[in-house]
Amino acid sequence: MAKQLGRDQQGITLRGSAEIVAEFFSYGINSILYQRGIYPPETFTRVQKYGLTLLVTTDPELKNYLNNVVEQMKDWLYKCIVQRLVVVISSIENNEVLERWQFDIECDKAAKDESAPREKSQKAIQDEIRSVIRQITATVTFLPLLETACAFDLLIYTDKDLAVPEKWEESGPQFIANSEEVRLRSFTTTIHKVNSMVAYKKDSFS
Amino acid sequence: MSQEWNDEWELSKENVQPLRQGRVMSTLQEALAQQETSIHTAVQLKKQEFESEIRFYSGDDPLDVWDRYIKWTEQTFPQGGKESNLPAVLERAVKALNEQQRYYKDPRYLNLWLKFGNCCNEPLDLYSYLHSQEIGTTLALLYITWAEELEARGSFKKADLIFQEGIQRKAEPLDKLQSHHRQFQARVSRQTLLGLEEAADEKDPDLLGTAEPQRSSLADLKGRGKKKVIAPISRVGDSLKAMNRNRSLQNPTSQQLSNSLRFAVFDENSASGAGIPVLTPQPWAAPPAPKAKENELSAGPWNSGRRPRSSANSGMEVPCALPNFTPYVEESAQQQAMTPCKIEPSINHVLSARKPEKEEDPLQRVQNHQQDTQEKKEMVMYCKDKVYAGVEEFSLEEIRAEIYRKQAKKKTEEEMQAIAQKKEEMQRKIEELEKKLKKDDKQQQPHEQPAETRESSPPLGLQEIAFSSATELGEKQPCLQSESQLSEDTQLHKPASSKKVIQSPDVCPGMQGGSVFLDSEDEQEDQGAEASLSKKDVALLPPLDPATFFSIFDESSTSASQNISCSTGQTQKSARRPLAIRKSSDCIIAKENAPPEACDELNGIEPLTEDAIVTGSYKNKTFCANPEDTCDFVRAAHLASTPFHGVVAQRIPVPAYSESALKEDCPESKSTPLNQQIPVCEGTYNEALCAKKLSPIMEASQEDTRSSGSSVSPGSSLSSVTQISTIKYLHIPEKLELAQSLPAEMVTDSGGIGENVTGDDITQFSWSDEQRKKLLDPMPASLTASPDFHLENGSLPVMILEKEFELGNETYCIKREYWTNEEYKMFFAVPANFPQLDAKGFAIKVYSQPVPWDFYITLQLQERLNTDFDQSFSENCGCFLYRDGCAILHRDINRFTLGDVIRGCKAITEEVIILVVYNLLDVVEKLHKAEIVHGDLSPEVFFLGDRICDPFANDEMTSALKIVDFSHSLDLRLQSRISLPNGFPIAQTPYGQQLLAKSSFPYQVDLVGIADIVHLMLFGDHLQVYQENFTWKISQNMSKTVGSDFWSKLFGRILNADGKSTVPLLRELREEISGMFDSRFQERLCESLAALGETFLLEDFL
Repeated sequence: MAKQLGRDQQGITLRGSAEIVAEFFSYGINSILYQRGIYPPETFTRVQKYGLTLLVTTDPELKNYLNNVVEQMKDWLYKCIVQRLVVVISSIENNEVLERWQFDIECDKAAKDESAPREKSQKAIQDEIRSVIRQITATVTFLPLLETACAFDLLIYTDKDLAVPEKWEESGPQFIANSEEVRLRSFTTTIHKVNSMVAYKKDSFS
Repeated sequence: MSQEWNDEWELSKENVQPLRQGRVMSTLQEALAQQETSIHTAVQLKKQEFESEIRFYSGDDPLDVWDRYIKWTEQTFPQGGKESNLPAVLERAVKALNEQQRYYKDPRYLNLWLKFGNCCNEPLDLYSYLHSQEIGTTLALLYITWAEELEARGSFKKADLIFQEGIQRKAEPLDKLQSHHRQFQARVSRQTLLGLEEAADEKDPDLLGTAEPQRSSLADLKGRGKKKVIAPISRVGDSLKAMNRNRSLQNPTSQQLSNSLRFAVFDENSASGAGIPVLTPQPWAAPPAPKAKENELSAGPWNSGRRPRSSANSGMEVPCALPNFTPYVEESAQQQAMTPCKIEPSINHVLSARKPEKEEDPLQRVQNHQQDTQEKKEMVMYCKDKVYAGVEEFSLEEIRAEIYRKQAKKKTEEEMQAIAQKKEEMQRKIEELEKKLKKDDKQQQPHEQPAETRESSPPLGLQEIAFSSATELGEKQPCLQSESQLSEDTQLHKPASSKKVIQSPDVCPGMQGGSVFLDSEDEQEDQGAEASLSKKDVALLPPLDPATFFSIFDESSTSASQNISCSTGQTQKSARRPLAIRKSSDCIIAKENAPPEACDELNGIEPLTEDAIVTGSYKNKTFCANPEDTCDFVRAAHLASTPFHGVVAQRIPVPAYSESALKEDCPESKSTPLNQQIPVCEGTYNEALCAKKLSPIMEASQEDTRSSGSSVSPGSSLSSVTQISTIKYLHIPEKLELAQSLPAEMVTDSGGIGENVTGDDITQFSWSDEQRKKLLDPMPASLTASPDFHLENGSLPVMILEKEFELGNETYCIKREYWTNEEYKMFFAVPANFPQLDAKGFAIKVYSQPVPWDFYITLQLQERLNTDFDQSFSENCGCFLYRDGCAILHRDINRFTLGDVIRGCKAITEEVIILVVYNLLDVVEKLHKAEIVHGDLSPEVFFLGDRICDPFANDEMTSALKIVDFSHSLDLRLQSRISLPNGFPIAQTPYGQQLLAKSSFPYQVDLVGIADIVHLMLFGDHLQVYQENFTWKISQNMSKTVGSDFWSKLFGRILNADGKSTVPLLRELREEISGMFDSRFQERLCESLAALGETFLLEDFL
């Protein structure tokens, strides 16, 4: 409770930061899945978050899966051993990677030893997150239409010495061969900084 | 938070149309950023590029251009809208590629159509049209798009049919089609399922509802439930829905229910779903009595009712008074079409009102167009297809320019080939001749003069002599034959033309025309010469003549002369015109209202193919000669504006003329060779001299023909004729005399004189005395007001080497003569009274005409360059103008010129070369900046500056070169009309001829001069160039020299700078050199300069 208070009032602790970032991932991934039509739109429901109306899945299996990932992320964020989260969208038919949403995480490892919370109001962070999510929504202006049914994968880049937990497996980076990359906004909690980027297939246009 | 990205895309995301294939972010950002400025030139240029590519595409895949154009448009105009013009582009593309059956299976073509479909009012029509035309019917995309559209409109069955059709026709890629079909089926079945569920939800209460009224009809009337009462009297059939349950108490009758049912929207989905009860038609014939309506009055006798007056409902009052109010008419009722415009329409261009008429469906337009083309009756007499090929309209001039450019390119290519071929041939022949001559020599050692001429083994430039003497001897030259053969051949190809004008572009600038052939009496050869000369004309003139570029298309002239537009062959025509009027009979024929056949004969000149393209392929001709034909005017204008040196081919073809004309011609042509022989015979031991000497004479001979031609002409002004001939005869001896002195100057000088005579003082050579005189008459105030300007009363003092003379109030002694010719002399002098202290002295330039041109240029430079006017120029000079000439005195001049250095040192160190080149570039850059073309850059005109001569000179302040001589300079501000580099001395050199053959840019001349100087310093000999892939290269192997990278770059850029602005080019090169000036360089430079001073300067000085 004291921690909660601290976050609301004046500072950011490591745990609070991890929570904020993990929460962002949860909503961010949900937004991507909805915007890019990976799951049928009717399986999403509206929630108010960050001053926006966001859509989150109601599919129980997906919900469960995402929750697991986010919990795991939270843990890793807290330990400051995660470097990158990637949402890979690939065609179901031929497994071709069509889109790659990359969130680079910069952890300030010094925060692990600090006891005093950092100065940054939660509102400021939320504003930053909001603009990132808004940009995710706005990417329809330039992203190609996903013409085939697609599936998504989550890749998490961690520090090397990490033992792979259960239900996780090692994977390649799944890059897109000929891609156009667009950097999106970033936000920081002062402990974790998240840079977002989306890459998409380029070859079909002139 | 650093924001690397411009967030333009996010800010205007609502204004970006999503594309199926996505967008390139960079393009998007650019497009959105540029949005503000209404004219983005880059985009316009690109568009223009596409437009012209569409018109002049020569490959075999026109679709590719359109495809790229459309993709580019999509990317560049993210907002779509009017500006992008995408629908128009698509429509045009579709129309343009209409009949191309081969594209019907091309996915790009189908894509074009499908995109076009999105612009149509009814894409479905388009799809069925495509289907009927078999366009893209083998491609899955058509069926997928079609089915999608149908699906979006809810016609699932039809969509499914389309899919099946596609699969049946095995449209490619089939798997994609199938997977789309599967997905479609999945969607439909899911929706049907959902629909079923909903329908089931609805059905339950429905059944209930129908049951209830039935039951309740027999039950008592008491409503059930607390709030909702079910109407007991309802006896409607089972189609009734249970909506009445929601009715309020006040509205319990079934009438409402039946009403609501009557307007139920037909739902295809639910209809197609199985098990849904079909609506039965209303069983009643008449509507049920409106019994239970609220506020209803029972009908009664009208008069019985007593109502208060105020109720205003009684029938009594209704018919009486006219309405005492004005009925309200909605404003919009009258003029719905126009949106009210508050802002003044002239200002408000954004929100312009939409035009009221209904827009035509583009698809319909395309179809109409197709029909039109099928049953087209009218014939277009201009290249309509080209004008309207793209979205934008091209003017005929634009098309012509494009064609011209293409042709010019091709021409150069061919020319280069021809030159190479000719060169080879010549070489071979020369070798042959040499062999022959040697043989002859052995046989008859002491012989008459022509044989002596042969002795000097002639290099390329000298072939004239070899040939002429050979012809003299009566030997048949194989070359001549082939030459005339050539002309005959060409003649055969165009029998309509009686003239021997050959436009085939095999010009050989390397040989100064077929002057050789002039002395031959053989007509064939004569023609050959003429042909080759006229060829030269063509090569030299067209790019310079604005009339050729932008001549106005004149229908009558085309009709009068088969396929000849007057704008095309002007060079020939204008040249011929005065000659054609030799005889009065000819004169009549030459008139435009003569029968066209005769005209053809006279003007039979091969048309430029561009006009064949613009006009020619449409064969219909009106044979109505227009007496007001502009041809004459164009010719006259051309004659007036064409510098003489280009118009040399004026021989009259024999067949067209009577014997008398021939007779007239003969003495002329005979006299010419006589003239020509003289210099040849008079001790021509110097080959180069000889080669050049011929040229002026040749021009003089041209004049002969010409003047004689005009003297017979009744139409031309007699006064001018006499003038011409007198001047001509005056000049010939002078020329001969000149020919013995320095050749390079002579050529141009005499050319200049000739120019004066013929050019009607409209365009003249830049250094023509007459023109300069005119320009400086009256003497500009800036000139006369200068303190250094002295007007002397006497005549020019005689200046001879080692003799003293007086200039101003000083006495000078001439120590050295740099160069001298009839008109210009350059001396080095020291004051006679003072002992000479150093190598410095006075440079005195003497000009035999009282025109202080050099002084004028120097003053202009001073004025235009301001602070840039530095030691590179003569900072301290005086001008002495005499009655018969002028002398310009330059003070503080070092004795030696760059030419001395080149001659004196076997190898010049690289540092010195770099220093010199640096200064050279600097000087020329400054000259060009001041809009002055030097015109005769050579090592001789550059005096060494203090940087080289003075060991204690300040590095920064002093310049290595000084230029004082401007004999051939051109002030483009004053003489802007002159743009022919061909007249400069440098253009007479072999390399100059090559490089400047097609150049129209006078600055180019100085670049060639620079290149030659650099070449001289690097390799010790003159520039030699060849062309490869349209780039000029020097023949010397660069790899051996130090810093070869830089030098080859320098040559590459300088030689291929045609058309580009020279000032930035020179500056860039100079800056590159300045990058080499490091401290080590300076050290080495100092050493080199010291060495140079020791070995050369001092030695010579002593």
